[in-house]
Amino acid sequence: MKNCDQFRERTEAYALGALDPEERVALEVHLASGCPECTKAVEEARWLISQLAYTAPEAAPSDMLKGRLLQTVRAEAQSQAKPHALPSKSAIPFWLLAGVAALVVFSIYSAWNTRRLHDEIREANNRAADLVQQRQKIEQELLLAKREATILMDPGSVNIALKGSDAQGPQLKAKWHSEWGVVVMGENIPMPSPHHVLQLWFIPKAPGKMPMPSMMVRPDANGRFVLLVSSPPESMDATKALAISEEPEGGSPWPTNPPRYSGGVS
Amino acid sequence: MLLAAFTSTGPREVSPDATLVPRLLQKDVSAFEQLYDRHSRLVYGLVLRILQQASISEEVVQEVFLQLWRNADQYDPSRGPFVPWLCTMARNRALDRLRLKSERQRRREDQPDELPSAVVAPEYEKVLDDKRRAERVRALMASLSPQQKKAIELAYFEGLSHSEIAAALEEPLGTVKSWIRNGLLRLKEGLQATS
Repeated sequence: MKNCDQFRERTEAYALGALDPEERVALEVHLASGCPECTKAVEEARWLISQLAYTAPEAAPSDMLKGRLLQTVRAEAQSQAKPHALPSKSAIPFWLLAGVAALVVFSIYSAWNTRRLHDEIREANNRAADLVQQRQKIEQELLLAKREATILMDPGSVNIALKGSDAQGPQLKAKWHSEWGVVVMGENIPMPSPHHVLQLWFIPKAPGKMPMPSMMVRPDANGRFVLLVSSPPESMDATKALAISEEPEGGSPWPTNPPRYSGGVS
Repeated sequence: MLLAAFTSTGPREVSPDATLVPRLLQKDVSAFEQLYDRHSRLVYGLVLRILQQASISEEVVQEVFLQLWRNADQYDPSRGPFVPWLCTMARNRALDRLRLKSERQRRREDQPDELPSAVVAPEYEKVLDDKRRAERVRALMASLSPQQKKAIELAYFEGLSHSEIAAALEEPLGTVKSWIRNGLLRLKEGLQATS
């Protein structure tokens, strides 16, 4: 064959998939012309290339993969075996066909009805889950409100007045219960700057120890806020004072501004 | 004398695959399991080498063996050994996944006509067990020049063409073609010498 040599020397690269489109198409056109020598050369080249698989490091797939595969093939083997058990078409009497047809119609209706019921059950479950979530949220809020009330009402709670840096401005009140935590309340509090919050600090008695960061808050439109700290970072005995400073949104691990309000823990 | 003549020209060793694969046509799950146990490590190793990610590789191996189960009639034992055919199918699938072919293209390839073409063993093919064959092929690949080996690996495991390899290695196209051709010819000669 006229151009066989040029094609023959490309058979390995063709089997490897390395030929660029132009060369690949030219070789495929040649093969399509029915050249038996080049066809055989390509088939043998495919065997040669397949041997490269052995250069990949062997690795064991997971046992789960084998389990999945066997499950699938067993199911398919069974489903293909079943039709052979059925009698031939001619042996099926008309009444049986009619019965089967009725059964099919009934099955379709049942399937549709089951699906509809499933949808309704799913919707009901979703609604129930929403209600449970709402209830949990309310219970949580109630629990916090009870804790706040206990701290505020209990005679064992310690009163702390947090005076403002501006003597004419409002001051904050705090109550600290050794077991239930701290509540800090404020009214007519000026709003912090945009993208800033008010952050509470626990100032330790120990000399040189850094203020401990606590919760953040922004007053409401009327300048009111109530802050509950259930687990203060320091005990009352170890705390010299409480302070509030204005900090960037998200809070800060250490104070970046002077305190706007502060008060000693007596 | 008679015995010597018999042993020297006796029947070629038959791989167990030759009897297992036809049993798939009867939907023999036990035959399928034996084929899986015999070849899953080789197939998974190859696919994992191409895709480099265990979970996706297992998906591809699953596809390969299900394709074998469903289309076993596409394999003709008279035209060549089973393992090269299986490895060719696995490599094609893995490279398709590597090239992120669209779902539609992949679905089309589930059809039997997308199975590999004939992989015919040459005259010099000898039935070696997988371990000895792997040792032989690895030794031959190790004997190639680093450039020949690199270029062949880029084509085989990453599906790159001559031009793409030349660009990746920043070498002239003709040089890359020579590396691949000469490397594969040396591999072929080495395997011929083995038989």
